[in-house]
Amino acid sequence: MANPARLLIVDDNEDILSTFYEFFNSFGYEVKTAVDGFAALKILRDKPNYFLCLITDLVMPNITGVGLISIVKNEFPDIKTIAMTGYGDHPGALASEARADIVIFKPVDLFKIERKVAELIGRTED
Amino acid sequence: MISPTPLIGVSIPMLKIKELINHVAKTCLNILITGETGVGKEVVAHSLYAESDRSENNFVKINCAALPETLLESELYGYEKGAFTGAHKKRYGKFLTADKGVLFLDEIGDMPLALQSKMLHVLQSGEFSPLGSDQDFKTDVWIIAATNQCLEKNIKNKTFREDLFYRLNIIKIDIPPLRKRPEDIPALVEYYFKKYLSKYPQTQAQRPDSQTMARLCSYHWPGNVRQLQNCIKKQMVLNSWDKIFEELPDNASPSETSSSEDLFQAQLAGSAMHSPAFPFDNEPGNQRMRIISEFIDLSTSSEKLFEDISLKKIKKLASDKVEKEVITFVLEKVGWNRSKAAKILKVSYKTLLYKMSEFNVNPPIS
Repeated sequence: MANPARLLIVDDNEDILSTFYEFFNSFGYEVKTAVDGFAALKILRDKPNYFLCLITDLVMPNITGVGLISIVKNEFPDIKTIAMTGYGDHPGALASEARADIVIFKPVDLFKIERKVAELIGRTED
Repeated sequence: MISPTPLIGVSIPMLKIKELINHVAKTCLNILITGETGVGKEVVAHSLYAESDRSENNFVKINCAALPETLLESELYGYEKGAFTGAHKKRYGKFLTADKGVLFLDEIGDMPLALQSKMLHVLQSGEFSPLGSDQDFKTDVWIIAATNQCLEKNIKNKTFREDLFYRLNIIKIDIPPLRKRPEDIPALVEYYFKKYLSKYPQTQAQRPDSQTMARLCSYHWPGNVRQLQNCIKKQMVLNSWDKIFEELPDNASPSETSSSEDLFQAQLAGSAMHSPAFPFDNEPGNQRMRIISEFIDLSTSSEKLFEDISLKKIKKLASDKVEKEVITFVLEKVGWNRSKAAKILKVSYKTLLYKMSEFNVNPPIS
């Protein structure tokens, strides 16, 4: 394995976070998690060229997912972004405006997300 | 310019807020600051501005609760000469003066719905036009909004637009009340003590000893940092912590929620019939009762109380009270120029003079 597929997953719900962690781990991804936008931003700034893809919830305390995606698109334009929302249309629309690569609505299908992630970062199964 | 108050605090939530400010000040993403009255929302806004790349430009503040709808609109967007009766000359709005800087929307929860729609449009398009103008202006302002209200609740009550909420709430900074971070109190006391010491160099005021400090730290501070600040200012003059504690409202859980009709009735009945002392500070009805108690003596018996309640009389008392404050406020703003004040208040010069003497409003003796 030359280039491990590194993901950062952000959600303020720890159950969702651990489900995602287990799932992507089992697919061979290297996964880091953060419980809110601020924690995620600190991780990203600490390791600027490390992650290939960010999967984030939108409605969170301190820095929301929309804020996080805006910052990522400005500071780390190479990182692909996936927004997940369960709060009606507004946050999703704002995430698109912030140039999220994909916006998906909860409840989410993990297998589907995995396929999208693989597509976005050009990961081929081998 | 007066140097802005620094963000003071050593508690974990305050340290986290400082760190957050440090991380997001340069992003210029819309920010919503929440917290009870007096916690220092404007101080946080100022810190964000000071650490941003916009600190060379203007920090413009507007209080959305202090102005009536039409005035708030013209303050925000400006107007052309002749846009409405009284628009004698062109006036630039806050959106223009805040260009490349910060527009701080204080008390955003009180913004009328019609203006919320307009604000949303401006934030979406980045364009606005002054009243009476057909020209669109591009705006590059960093919006920082603040409120002590729960906007999520206001959305449910349909008094706040959900789409505007999400657009403002890109980053949220929630400042906890002072009672939840008593470890910040000694640092705040020291800061304001020093500040006022230089303002009142003749004062004999004593700093709090350890016992007093303990008392200060255990008080619940319903008015938060602003209330603490006022106490320290008072100490400069009174030099008696005992007196200051005497004047503080009783230690009880503070309440910002509005009361229900039933509770009010129950309280009114209960208090009027059984006990002369009113339970101001431990029931959610206290805000209403406090307002009422300004005009009616609630400690009398129920018969007497109901005799005293006359809507006409209370209306006069209440409107006089507000009128007096508004007149003083406007006069202070215009440097006690009475003809200017009369114009602003939209009353005749004579009426203003009459009201000034009736309410005993006098210019300060310099």
